[in-house]
Amino acid sequence: MENMQKIKEMLMESIFEVFEKMYYIFLEPLDTDSGTYDMGASIGFHGPANGEIRILISKKMAGKMVQNMLNIREEDVTAKLLEDCLKESANMICGNFLRKLDSNQVFNLTLPTFDGNPVVADYTASLRIAFESEGDGMGVSMSMTDQT
Amino acid sequence: MSFNLMIVDDSNAMRAVIRKIVSISGFKVDRCFEANNGREALDMLAKDWVDVIISDINMPDVNGLELLNALKHDDLYKDIPVIMITTEGSSERMQEALAHGAKGFIKKPFLPEDLKRVLHEVIGVGEDGEYAEDKRDVDGVDF
Repeated sequence: MENMQKIKEMLMESIFEVFEKMYYIFLEPLDTDSGTYDMGASIGFHGPANGEIRILISKKMAGKMVQNMLNIREEDVTAKLLEDCLKESANMICGNFLRKLDSNQVFNLTLPTFDGNPVVADYTASLRIAFESEGDGMGVSMSMTDQT
Repeated sequence: MSFNLMIVDDSNAMRAVIRKIVSISGFKVDRCFEANNGREALDMLAKDWVDVIISDINMPDVNGLELLNALKHDDLYKDIPVIMITTEGSSERMQEALAHGAKGFIKKPFLPEDLKRVLHEVIGVGEDGEYAEDKRDVDGVDF
């Protein structure tokens, strides 16, 4: 349990770091999440531990990510940019988290996948964290198992 | 004199960010080529010369390490400096990339200053965006 708390803290640090550095978005953790989001991206990892990280997000916040990252106007945000941006965020959060977990071990990441349909939070995941920023919501879930 | 840059990343958004950072950092880029993966990069290299490559690792088809390996084993391309921008930051993975010939390494997420610093280190461009070797060419004086 204590270990899972440390893992949660590492994952949260990675999420904050990625969102602040790349998207200039400052997230506030929430006690409960909305359960359903507009879109999501997932990435798997394999190595000393195996698992998957899912990013679930409102379209509005995903739009802000693209706008802030590329310094473009709201009307210039395309579906392709939303997909790209969300997949890249999953990639960065996963890589950053695994570095924090153990930088001496090599993990292989899968290519991130995108789901542009409304997605529901995975209530069976090992970890679920919800955030908000200026009224828009985001959820992150992670499933992880040791290889041994 | 300006230089030709190639950005290899399967994310349009990430390529746009890198292009923008390079542009606002004062580097004098003549042509900027963009490839979705290592295979596209190698195809482009067969047609146009580039002076520096910035590449992701985790890409479909031909990934960044495979691209590095292909460049290292080609006499024409082996001296092109390659900077890896990647989420995969284990020390072993970084050693692997350096062993494959990478000249620099940037971990995502990164700040514009991180990319600017590594570009300065790797390609020897001064704060004014000019190549150091070009300055020597002007009057034989090493600035």
